[in-house]
Amino acid sequence: MGSRIKNDVTHLFECFCEVAGPSKENTSPWILQKFPEHYRQDEMLSTLPDFAYPCEFDKTVIQHYSFVLTNIDSKWTFGFCRHDPKSETALVVLSYLPWHESFYKFLNCISNLTNSNKSKDLWPFLESVYNSKLPIKGCDLKINNDNGEELFVCQSPIQFQLPSIPENRNLTEYYNAVDSQNMIIIFASMLFERRIIFTSKKLYRLSACVQSANAILYPMNWQHIFIPVLPQSLIDYLLAPMPYLIGLPYSLFQNLQRNDLGEVVILDADKNTIETPFNDLENLPTDVVSILKRLLRNKGTVLGDGVSRAFLRALVLLIGGYRDALKFHQGERITFNKDAFIESRSSNMQPFLKKMLELQIFQQFIEERLEMLNAGLGFSDEFEMEVCNYHEKSSNRLKQQYKEWTFTVKREGTAFFKTVKNVTNPAVRNAVKTVKERGRDVRSAYKDFRSKLHVQNKNPRTKISTQPNSAPSSPSVQRRSSRPYTTAFTTASASYRKETSNGIQKLTNAQNLLKEVSCSPPPQLNMDLMEDLKDVLFRNFPRNNTPNSLLNFDTASTDHDWQDSVSSNFMTDDDIFNTSFGSAPAECPMETKDLIRLDSTSSIDDFDPLKSPVNNNGLIPGVGLTNPLYHYFVPLNKTQSETKNNNDLLNEYGLNFDSLSLTEQPGPSMSPNQPSGPPLPPKPANFKSNWTKFE
Amino acid sequence: MAKEYDHLFKLLIIGDSGVGKSSLLVRFADNTFSGSYITTIGVDFKIRTVLVDGEKVKLQIWDTAGQERFRTITSTYYRGTHGVIVVYDVTNGDSFANVKRWLHEIDQNCEVVNRILVGNKNDAPDRKVVLTEDAQRFADQMGIQLYETSAKDNINVEQMFMSITKQVLRNKKETKERQAHQNNDVVNLRKGPSKGVKRKCC
Repeated sequence: MGSRIKNDVTHLFECFCEVAGPSKENTSPWILQKFPEHYRQDEMLSTLPDFAYPCEFDKTVIQHYSFVLTNIDSKWTFGFCRHDPKSETALVVLSYLPWHESFYKFLNCISNLTNSNKSKDLWPFLESVYNSKLPIKGCDLKINNDNGEELFVCQSPIQFQLPSIPENRNLTEYYNAVDSQNMIIIFASMLFERRIIFTSKKLYRLSACVQSANAILYPMNWQHIFIPVLPQSLIDYLLAPMPYLIGLPYSLFQNLQRNDLGEVVILDADKNTIETPFNDLENLPTDVVSILKRLLRNKGTVLGDGVSRAFLRALVLLIGGYRDALKFHQGERITFNKDAFIESRSSNMQPFLKKMLELQIFQQFIEERLEMLNAGLGFSDEFEMEVCNYHEKSSNRLKQQYKEWTFTVKREGTAFFKTVKNVTNPAVRNAVKTVKERGRDVRSAYKDFRSKLHVQNKNPRTKISTQPNSAPSSPSVQRRSSRPYTTAFTTASASYRKETSNGIQKLTNAQNLLKEVSCSPPPQLNMDLMEDLKDVLFRNFPRNNTPNSLLNFDTASTDHDWQDSVSSNFMTDDDIFNTSFGSAPAECPMETKDLIRLDSTSSIDDFDPLKSPVNNNGLIPGVGLTNPLYHYFVPLNKTQSETKNNNDLLNEYGLNFDSLSLTEQPGPSMSPNQPSGPPLPPKPANFKSNWTKFE
Repeated sequence: MAKEYDHLFKLLIIGDSGVGKSSLLVRFADNTFSGSYITTIGVDFKIRTVLVDGEKVKLQIWDTAGQERFRTITSTYYRGTHGVIVVYDVTNGDSFANVKRWLHEIDQNCEVVNRILVGNKNDAPDRKVVLTEDAQRFADQMGIQLYETSAKDNINVEQMFMSITKQVLRNKKETKERQAHQNNDVVNLRKGPSKGVKRKCC
């Protein structure tokens, strides 16, 4: 519902056009040729040339940029554009998918084909890409020519991955062009839903900055007018009285009658300057701003997803409290209580949060979350995990309430979920569908990961690059590779909370790392993932925290070399990507000694404004993430598994001796007597039972 | 220097897709030939200049795509507009339900906005499901005017647009007077010499 990305996409791209630029004979640009021929979105096609040549611009280098068209249902169609100074034409691809990097590569392939003597290959190439199935999240689509040479590889983005530098071209450009102070002002202006104009002489910078400004609002989405590149013909649309985010080429900006515009925020991305008639930055809660500043100042953490995560953390502080305002009524839909939301936050936050309630982006966010919950889908994305990091206690309680609620709903039959699905409008149904599909994506990504590891297990000699993806020149690589069994997954057992919250990331990193491995559709395997992964993931268990080893090292002996390399790669990747890897220094002496470490291990604890107790002492907190990836995290000890069954059974019947609050009437505020975690010793079974089932 | 207009008003038209918002606009606007951009950039507007009590009023009426996805339309959306035209389809009960919810919301959050309620497609009595009495009762309760129109048969369209224009104009003048009055009070209280009360020109 909140998302403006279309979810029932069947083709990688909708249409390819070659657009001839304006000339002396013909002053307006026009479409020379298009593929597929049957593409008949006439209104889009009629405006497309204007977006391909939005204004007079500098044509000295090859430029890639994107524009956005908005359908009548407010979903976005992305136009990816390539200008070559040597060519009279522009190449444009329309797609519902915001995969900038892949489509820019795609355009390069098309350009190579058209400019070479292989131009006859262009149409078959387009046809094969058009008719290919969409790659599964995290997988590649490969297109070869007749001779088997690889023409094009399209990587489908990994679910739940935040945009990272330098892989994400848009964010990298935004970060390079605009300093962190100005990024924060724009962030604030967007949170106040202003009318915002970005301007730049360079079209690629313009579109990249606009796209990124929206991307860092995650988990919210800009709900208003969104035009990353505005062509000259549509300049009057700057008069719109509603909130907008518009990228305006500098040549058009120069000639603008500023008086007509009214109150607008203007970012000049070339000069890195902002004009604003508002005090939006001052009206953001000061602690949020100072945290943002601190996180963005730390140059060491901006590589990888540091920038995205900094803004995500700011949003966790601002809106993560929505969870405390959820009202659970047995047998009824979960609702959101505005007053409880305000009251759940400190008094210095409250004035801003009152305004927050009046924001369309926040409304849509809440609607989306409620639909997810009411459809029984639980809490499961990068945002919720980040929230769990900071509000562990309330998170725990919330999980209980939600579990209880879903349990009642299920006991009373599936009628309720059915009603939800039938009564709600199509948009809601779509949202539910999206969420479900995402779930499937995760699962398929998971499966895929498993199959990759499986392949690897079978081919122990397969060479896996030790280069980390995010920082190819990272000097830490070799050293980490030579490290003995490292602490990466030790902390997984020692600090379960952290482990779960970063788990997806690890998995996705691992996928990233293994992307060289050919990614055919994952074979259906009968094996349990834990069986496949345990050797790799939990090899450190016995050395550190689990005296009674649950793992069988014999199975790992044959592919030892490979595992070493994987293990070191995990580490490298963690270090670079995983800025929130919250292992305590005491646990990882090696990491603290590492002076060139790129992650932000300590900042997470600095950052936590609530100073929620961090379980560094080997306790496993009782936060069960509703992350389907972790359903499998059950140690294979027999006695424990019996305990698990018993506890599970008790939980199913609403009895939990670890947490007597379960049968309480749920309320929004924390009970002071509420235990902050399950008692010692940690019982893995509890985690599992706390996890909301994904479907 | 002859001015093109005395007042410029920006109005919003809201309602589910399919209730005939664009037909109403096309019927009303000066330049019916210009292309529609609502399907390409998600926003469109139409312009017309009307004469109200001898004053030239230029109207820009704005429309955005996909409003039905909003359960609530929040006040940030209305900020910066002078008036809102809220449209439902008299042959579609759901569109009326949405409109009721939105109007309640406007009422709570942005009381200053001028509003008008419009039941469009009032040209097929056999298919009409939102009864005039029900709509009228709701309009009275919200303190706003109701117009039942047909863009297709050009019934009541002109009257409706003129009505909201007059309402906005009246409101603007009242506000101005009130401000002038308040400013005068301030002057009197202070007994200061400054007589030059600033009158903001539109």
